Amino acid sequence: MTAAEKINAPHRMSEPPFVRRLLIGISLAFMALFLVVPLASVFAEALKQGFGFYFQTLRDPMTVSAIKLTLIVAGISVPLNCIFGVAAAWAIAKFDFRGKNILLTLIDLPFSISPVISGMIYVLIFGAQGWFGSWFSDNMKIIFAVPGIVLATIFVTFPFVARELIPLMQAQGRTEEEAARVLGASGWQTFWRVTIPNIKWGLIYGVILCNARAMGEFGAVSVVSGHIQGQTNTIPLHVQILYESNNSTGAFAVASLLTFLALVTLALKTWVEYRNNELRGTAFTPVPVAKKPVNNL
Amino acid sequence: MSVEVRNVTKTFGSFTALNSVNLKIESGELVALLGPSGSGKTTLLRTIAGLEFPDPGGAQVLFYGEDVTQIPASERKAGFAFQHYALFRHMSVFENIAFGLRVRPKTTRPPEAKIRVRVGELLKLIQLEPLAKRYPSQLSGGQRQRVALARALAVEPKVLLLDEPFGALDAKVRKDLRRWLRKLHDEIHITTLFVTHDQEEALEVADRVAILRDGKIEQIGTPEEIYDHPASPFVYDFLGNVNLFSGRVHDGKVVIGESHFAMPETAGETDSDAVAFVRPHDIRITRESGGQKTFPARVVRCNAAGPMANLELERLDGGGPFTVQLAKEEFQQLQLKAGEEIFVELKNVKIFPDDFSI
Repeated sequence: MTAAEKINAPHRMSEPPFVRRLLIGISLAFMALFLVVPLASVFAEALKQGFGFYFQTLRDPMTVSAIKLTLIVAGISVPLNCIFGVAAAWAIAKFDFRGKNILLTLIDLPFSISPVISGMIYVLIFGAQGWFGSWFSDNMKIIFAVPGIVLATIFVTFPFVARELIPLMQAQGRTEEEAARVLGASGWQTFWRVTIPNIKWGLIYGVILCNARAMGEFGAVSVVSGHIQGQTNTIPLHVQILYESNNSTGAFAVASLLTFLALVTLALKTWVEYRNNELRGTAFTPVPVAKKPVNNL
Repeated sequence: MSVEVRNVTKTFGSFTALNSVNLKIESGELVALLGPSGSGKTTLLRTIAGLEFPDPGGAQVLFYGEDVTQIPASERKAGFAFQHYALFRHMSVFENIAFGLRVRPKTTRPPEAKIRVRVGELLKLIQLEPLAKRYPSQLSGGQRQRVALARALAVEPKVLLLDEPFGALDAKVRKDLRRWLRKLHDEIHITTLFVTHDQEEALEVADRVAILRDGKIEQIGTPEEIYDHPASPFVYDFLGNVNLFSGRVHDGKVVIGESHFAMPETAGETDSDAVAFVRPHDIRITRESGGQKTFPARVVRCNAAGPMANLELERLDGGGPFTVQLAKEEFQQLQLKAGEEIFVELKNVKIFPDDFSI
């Protein structure tokens, strides 16, 4: 390097190039080994016996029933958690009340508890030997039936929407709602015209994550479902059954559905994040209009 | 009487924000609520708007004689501009201003064409017609504040309530905007109440100023009244710089150090401690002793930047430092230098008994 080049070289505050290349290399290799290779192998394994077998597995009545059940469970638990999440976030962000911190801690409970235990709780409460078991067994079956699966899924996924909205709503404060109220808007008008548009992207983000977890949940659902093929089997449980019955290609074929869902979720999540940042980061560009003095009415 | 507040008390836990406040505002008046932070001025404004409700126990808020104490904010027809504007961030300037008209029940909602006309008028009033399609994040602070005002005015409020309307703006925009507000008020004559902690702003813009302290109204009057006849040491101190001279009152005379002043209004009082309040511009400096009227002092520091010269002086009898403000011309004639000994004479002295607190 000549003296002139040395002067012109950009002044670097960061590490020498080889360190940066090494760090980037390590992270890429790690990602490839633990994420990309398994991901690719799922699809490779699934198609090992050709497209014919792949689609045959997906068309199998047991698989179709598992897909249907998963859609039903997600279809019930996601909207309910959406309502719960908005209500909880609203209460926590906009009001001061006793027990606010307890509510905040309880919302996190499903994150901190093992999903197996979440399932066991419902067996304990609603199972045949459980607290309400005898009453429910006469009227409505909960454990080893669809209601139990829905309950367990709701429990496991309820933090997603609320957790996403609480910081957002806290940051936004309540003055816009107050402004709407003073301007004569009713409670509903304020909610639909001011609150919802402000939290829209956070809500969509929460729903996407909630849905991904609801469809992919294994532990809690496994405990309450009873694994009855064609009746209480969701996609993740069906994968396990296929795998254990030595139909590994079939198991991967069904698993590829969940993997595909994960990829779609990831893409949606990235898009929502991008939209959200774009809206929040709108460049501040004041426009000088009032060239004449402001006090000139 | 357009707005009246009677016996309003508001507590948050153990903190008393308002302590049986009474306030009457005439129709078409522009009144400032002035006070330090925590004095309850914003709480009073929010109580009038219906965003806070007074503690039960005989409190009343009246709009044009009608008791609105229990009526929610959405039905009070008050216009409120928030300190940080609270514009709807996902709506354009036009939609922000139109909001109050659009949310009306079907029976009283004006048709779309009328809404457009009304919003157009308001945009013209605030001189932001070309920016109707912009979003709040694309406006400067002063522009946002004007949009917030237009939005509040769109619903034709009975009373306009402004919370620190110029608080978040820089000094230049602030001055422009407060003149604009005064002019706006002179044109549309809407009863207006605004909160501020800036005494200069209150004195310049308002017809009357109410000074709050610890949840109580300390004094209310025209800017001239409260400036010239402050009711308490607190008001005196809050309205501008002040020097304190502790001394004694004795039968119509005030004794500060070696000097005596005739103070007829203290006649009858015998030998009690008192504090004399004097504004820095009410102190005269002379080279010659004026006998008992004056006392000696030393110049500590001179600062002649700006239209007035600010001097820091010290009493020779050990009574502590004080400040003096002189016209530049007078300062140049006296040719004062730091360290010099001179004589000072106090004018417009206001005496308060010595148990005051500021």
